[in-house]
Amino acid sequence: MNFNRRQGLQGLLGVAAGGAIGTTIAAPEAAAQTRAETLRQVMGGIINSLDPTTPGGTRENFGLAMSTYDRLASFGVKAGEGGPTFDMDNIHGELADKIDRSADGLTYTFHIREGATWHDGSPVTTADVKWSLDRMVSARSLAPPQVASGSHTSPDQYSVVGDRQVQVKLPRPDRLALGNLCIPYAMMINSELAKKNASADDPWAMNWLKENTAGGGAYVVETNRPGQQVVLRRNETWKNGKGGALPFFKRIILQTVPEASTRASLVERGDADISIDLAASDVPAILQRGRVKVVSVPQTNAFQAIVFNTQQAPFDNPKVRQALAAALPYEAMFQAAQFGRGRILFGAHWTQVPDAAFPRTMPLNLDLDRAKALLAEAGHPNGFATTFSFANSMAAFAEPMAALIKESLGRIGVEVTVQKMPDSQISTMVVERRLPFFTDIGSAWLPSPDYFFRTYFTGAHRWNYSGFNNPEVNELVQAARFETDSAKYDTAVKRMINIAAEQVPMAMVWQANQDAVMAKNVDGFTYWFHRQVDFRDLKRA
Amino acid sequence: MRVGRRLLASAPALLGVVVFTFLLMRVLPGDPAVFFASGPNAGQAEIDELRRVLGLDKPIPVQLAHYLYDVATGNLGRSMTTGQPVLADLAERLPASLELTVTALILALILALPLGILAALRPGSLLDHGVRLVCSLGVCVPTFVSGLLLIYVFYVVLGIAPDPTGRIDIFAASPPDITGFLLIDFALVGDWEGWRAAASQLMLPAATMALFTLAPLARMTRASMLAVLGSDFVRTARSVGLGRFRVIVVYALRNALLPVITITGIVFSTMLGANVLVEKVFSWPGVGSYALDALLGSDYAPVQGFVLLMASAFVLVNLVIDTLYGIADPRVSIE
Repeated sequence: MNFNRRQGLQGLLGVAAGGAIGTTIAAPEAAAQTRAETLRQVMGGIINSLDPTTPGGTRENFGLAMSTYDRLASFGVKAGEGGPTFDMDNIHGELADKIDRSADGLTYTFHIREGATWHDGSPVTTADVKWSLDRMVSARSLAPPQVASGSHTSPDQYSVVGDRQVQVKLPRPDRLALGNLCIPYAMMINSELAKKNASADDPWAMNWLKENTAGGGAYVVETNRPGQQVVLRRNETWKNGKGGALPFFKRIILQTVPEASTRASLVERGDADISIDLAASDVPAILQRGRVKVVSVPQTNAFQAIVFNTQQAPFDNPKVRQALAAALPYEAMFQAAQFGRGRILFGAHWTQVPDAAFPRTMPLNLDLDRAKALLAEAGHPNGFATTFSFANSMAAFAEPMAALIKESLGRIGVEVTVQKMPDSQISTMVVERRLPFFTDIGSAWLPSPDYFFRTYFTGAHRWNYSGFNNPEVNELVQAARFETDSAKYDTAVKRMINIAAEQVPMAMVWQANQDAVMAKNVDGFTYWFHRQVDFRDLKRA
Repeated sequence: MRVGRRLLASAPALLGVVVFTFLLMRVLPGDPAVFFASGPNAGQAEIDELRRVLGLDKPIPVQLAHYLYDVATGNLGRSMTTGQPVLADLAERLPASLELTVTALILALILALPLGILAALRPGSLLDHGVRLVCSLGVCVPTFVSGLLLIYVFYVVLGIAPDPTGRIDIFAASPPDITGFLLIDFALVGDWEGWRAAASQLMLPAATMALFTLAPLARMTRASMLAVLGSDFVRTARSVGLGRFRVIVVYALRNALLPVITITGIVFSTMLGANVLVEKVFSWPGVGSYALDALLGSDYAPVQGFVLLMASAFVLVNLVIDTLYGIADPRVSIE
């Protein structure tokens, strides 16, 4: 068949006319909320699962889950530097209205609140709580390794002991046991709904819960477009808030906007209400223009570190690490990379740490003469060559850091090649311990000092960036974990800090600010351990 | 049917593209199992488990065989970054990219054709140099720079453009989901308020892309017109006394169109995938940014699906171009 002009034109006309294939008029939306009752958050990351325990989940999933699901208990809030912040030492009930702790610390009994319901209206039962706790330790998800840090390892630890009581038994009195029930992974799930959507090879409904919720939290998911936006509406029957009060905002729009400058423009023009991940370089200008409110809180449970691979020469020699640690231009890096916004972890001058707070300022100071002397003592009088790596996603602050490090180390004869890589690639190399010298961020949901040491200074897992393997620290970490006597605990922690200061497996340099930029009439922003926005806190003045 | 035969002939090319991408993804550094197991306290056991779930522990030929079977049955895999099946993701995002690309192309053609014709009518003049300057500027300024500049001027300073995120005002009700093309959907439903909103969201990103593609279209029009304007039949038409407009548009332009159509086809195919920067700047939920996010996260399935989609789109576009030839020039037909 030959297409000639006439036939072609007729064909085109036919296609244009026959476009409509049935018209379905969209159902009228529920009564639109007013703009003031809606909160729009713009972020650079994406929500890729409604279940925070999904492997491969992003950090943003955690913040969302705090609003759509409840947990048995929750951290309190205390006044911190820059604004309200989470208080791990002050835990109160959320789904549970009363928590009993046995004298030996081995048994916790949770009394489930009367009248608590799930989003679909069915009542919360002890069976739901038991199922949720079992899932937390049994499912193939991100949860088990985290909650094991609080001695939650087996479904046998959880039992129903009354018509509204659930009991948690611990093998030893773990300081982080209760805290681990306040984290996003410890969410309470509507087990009837979840089980309906589970299958023989997915008994914990991992697949279904990625795209659907079965919760009872303060907000219900109205629409979810993974990678683009999530819209929440307030759960009008929520009873687990402080004093039974409902949160202020009736509708939350959580939108992904990849471009940082656009996010800043949106908040400044009032089209968006809050953003917590603007570029640090934009914040001083925003503060100066004064059109929006900026709440700057140092992220006290996170840290930026410059890591030495203690399993790889020449960094297996402590003197080399000490030498390089004395040659890092700390103050210059802090100004160039973070614009001085945050809390420094360098600059102290003690030889024996005065107290057991951690992370804290460590005796890390720029002293090129000392660095050269140490390097000579270590057997490298003429220096050596090495690479310094960082992930693409950190480029905004890591690039200036790298440039300054290269320059400063050059002065003691250490030649540095800077290597920037995609996040997935650097993850692999960190795990395989192939990087000699790099920078990374560490954070802890349960920021007790022994937890930091356990995670970042011991063990074969990926979070021990430097591969540090010091027998004394390994022993102290195990003892401190179950130590109920606070004086003995502090002594153990102080000893660990001293060892870290002397051995320098990594130089913890600062705790960056979380600069939350929001409309002037948005109040109540609180810094949480998961470093995301908790919508339940916010209100419009 | 010739069309059918053409499509069948391009199947080996598609197969080659798919296999090549598959192998390339696995050769790239970066282990997806490690990247996706990056929750706090994830240990080696979690990583191994994830590797087993992703099917990465099997030898590569086995993985390839599985993948080809899946593609043949319409299963393009599942994206780890969005958690959705890749086919669903692409089906959702393709209309967004298409709408943007088509609008940008129409905008570019509306600007480029007149500019090219004018430049051809007065070669060597100030106008010709002006057109050359505009085209060069459009090509030299990268799309993310021009995009951000347009946002700054029209949204931040002047306030005439709506907020530059996504396809529709975020506070408005969601659009009717019939074809996925918002302009068509709103028109079908008769919601002209919504149609205006969608069109205004489309303006800035389409303008950014149009600026970039102005150059090849305008220059090709100019060159082709110059060649045609110097030919015998145009001279005859002029000498016979036909009106200027008739000579230029009805006779000369129509004959000069063939190369322009070719270039349009090429530009369209490249724009569809390469407009990832515009999609990032304007938070446009298109296939380009989808594939880029997946690539950076060592997420294999979406990247393979995207490449397959682009290869198929290229084949289809070529087919359409050949059909258009047949309409524009009755001497040409699909052989």
